[in-house]
Order: sequence, then structure tokens, then C-alpha cells
Amino acid sequence: MHAVIMNGSPRVRKHSNTDRILARFLQGMTEDGSTFEQYEISDRKQWERARTAFQHNDRILIALPLYVENIPGLLMEFLETLIPRGGDATLSFILQGGFAEGAQLRCGEAYLEMLAGRLGCRYGGTLVKGDNFGIRLTEGKEQERITAPYREMGRVYSREGSFFSEECRKFTGPETFPFFTRLLISVVFRMIARKRFARAARAWGATRPLDDRPYGGRGV
Amino acid sequence: MVLLINTTDDTGVTGQLRELLEKTGTNFEIVQTAGMKINPCMGCNHCWLRTPGICSIRDDYETVLKRIIGAGQMWVITDTALGFMDHKGKNIFDRILPITTMYLHFRNGQMRHVPRYPVLPDVGIIFRGEADRAYLERWTERAALNFERKALGVFRSDEIREAVACMR
Repeated sequence: MHAVIMNGSPRVRKHSNTDRILARFLQGMTEDGSTFEQYEISDRKQWERARTAFQHNDRILIALPLYVENIPGLLMEFLETLIPRGGDATLSFILQGGFAEGAQLRCGEAYLEMLAGRLGCRYGGTLVKGDNFGIRLTEGKEQERITAPYREMGRVYSREGSFFSEECRKFTGPETFPFFTRLLISVVFRMIARKRFARAARAWGATRPLDDRPYGGRGV
Repeated sequence: MVLLINTTDDTGVTGQLRELLEKTGTNFEIVQTAGMKINPCMGCNHCWLRTPGICSIRDDYETVLKRIIGAGQMWVITDTALGFMDHKGKNIFDRILPITTMYLHFRNGQMRHVPRYPVLPDVGIIFRGEADRAYLERWTERAALNFERKALGVFRSDEIREAVACMR
């Protein structure tokens, strides 16, 4: 199988979590014998070639981060320029986000199903998974732990050409966490995560508190 | 204060809204973004981690953001594309990230980012063109969660009177 892969993240490739995910996913795909060509929507100079690839291939996959419950504005701007296909191509998606619970991504997933039809394509399903914010803040083995599971999903996509299998459905993880897990997460955020975020912010050069209100008002 | 953000090139809708809102004595402000430079969010996370609350993209969105903070209602008037709001409307929402901190908590059964400011607006949509209205309504409900506020509804541009009835 040959697939057109589009990284729909507006973030430049160097810092793109979606790109790290795709790297693992494409490793699995190629191990299964598939080939691909990849385009970065963050780079407007690639849009013309990406449009041509969309028109002339029958297996297309767009990977994207969830932005305010749906696709990022920059990706929408690109998609608005496409000429819809005539039902002769399959369009699948990898939807990733920061929130860990699967339920957080369902509104975006529902749009992607509609979008495939609007672009004149058959819908090939969406691989949905959250809890990916940490990719940007980690390196090496810790980052690998987050992205590695996508390798197997690349193999599945290579074999089946879609994300409708039970294996892909389970990949999302829990739809919502049980009460006690949520309680534990809340405690972790209050006691540990805030310190970690503050450390990351100092490394990024922040000189103001993370809950600063630059346009007025008291702190959180 | 009712904030109306018109991302379309057509000032006819906002003209009607101005007329109706003046009659009802509603406190409102209209922002026309057609002549503004508003870039898409790049997802750099600087507004969370490097310059908390301040977007790294130095364009006209900052004036919009300052008005969103403290407004009681925010209505985005948008064109549509591919069954949803077009990229200009979506960019207004994507760029709201600085109004939240990167801290997380559970509110109303949902994990959300902790808002940076105490007063944020309810959210409504007025759309021009063809869209999947049921989906837009679902999306607006979800988008309002980011403000920890409520959705005011989704109205076509020929339903201005119905929308105005929700503005106060």
C-alpha cells in the first residue's frame, strides 16, 4: 500500500508532537511493506504539492492535534483549498490531544467523519488518542514510551487501510477515568505537576508565574 | 458587555445587530476583523510556558483577546466551510489559549485548563453559509467549556432577531 501522509499540525516540524507520533506510526507501516509520502501543513510552501497528492492518490491519512474541540485553523485553511474527490479515495485520520480521556476527543472525531464526506472521500476511520502533551516536554526513553504504541498501529493501518478494527478502538484507552483515578490525578496536578510545569517554564525562559494575568486581575 | 466579533467581510449582519441592540439599550462592542491581521495559532505553547498569558504571535489578535477578557458574552460571526466555521472563525477560538493556564482541573465532569481570568464570556455563533447546524451546536457547547461558561446558541445570519433575544 502507498499512502499520502499529511501532518496537519500548525507547529513547525521540529517541535511537532504529531510528527513524533507519525515517525513511530510510519516505522510500523514501512515494516509491514507499505510506502508513503509526507507533507507538512505548517509549511505553506508544501501546500501545492500536498494538494496534487490529495488529488492523485487513493489512500490518504491526515494526522492532527485537537485544537478547541476540532481541527486547527491552519489545517482548515488548507482543506478549504482542496477540490473534493469523487468517492474514489479513502481518507483516514490520526487525532491526538493532550487530555487523557477519550471522551475529550469525540467531538473532533465526529467532525472528521463528516469532513471525509465533504472532501468527497470514503471515511477510513480515526485513530483517537490523548495524553500526548508530554511528548514536547520529554526526550529519549520517556518520549519513546509515549510514542512507541503508534508503531503497532502503523502496521495495522498498512494491513487494513483503515482504523475500524477493535484493536484501533481499544487504542484510545479509557473513555473517562473512574472517580478515584480522577481524584488521584487532581492530587498529582496540585502536588507534583505544577512544580514540573514551573521547572519547564524556567527552562523555557519564563520570568513571570504561570498563572500571571498580564491584562489585569488577581492571580489564579 | 456583549462582544461581537465579525470575521466575515460583510458588515451587513453587524449593521443589523447594531440597530437592534441600540433599540434594546444593550451594552455592546463590535470588532470587525476583516481589516486585521490575525494569524492561526501555531501551538507553540509560549502563552503557557514562556510568557504566561501573552501570545507569541504579535498581530492584531491581542486587541481582540483583551476585549474577550471581561466580556459577558462573546458572539463570533463567521462564514462556513466544509460544514463547519471557516478558518477565520476557527482562528478566533484557537487563539484563546492565553486565557487559560496550563494547570488542569475537573469541572462539570470534564478535565479543563484552569482559566487565567475570573470573568470570561458565554459563547454564541452566528454563521453565514451552509453548515451542519447540529454539529455546530454540539461544538459550541464544547468550546464554551474552555471558558467554563455556557453556550448561547448557534444562529444563521437570517436569524438575527432570535440571536439578539439571547444578548444581554
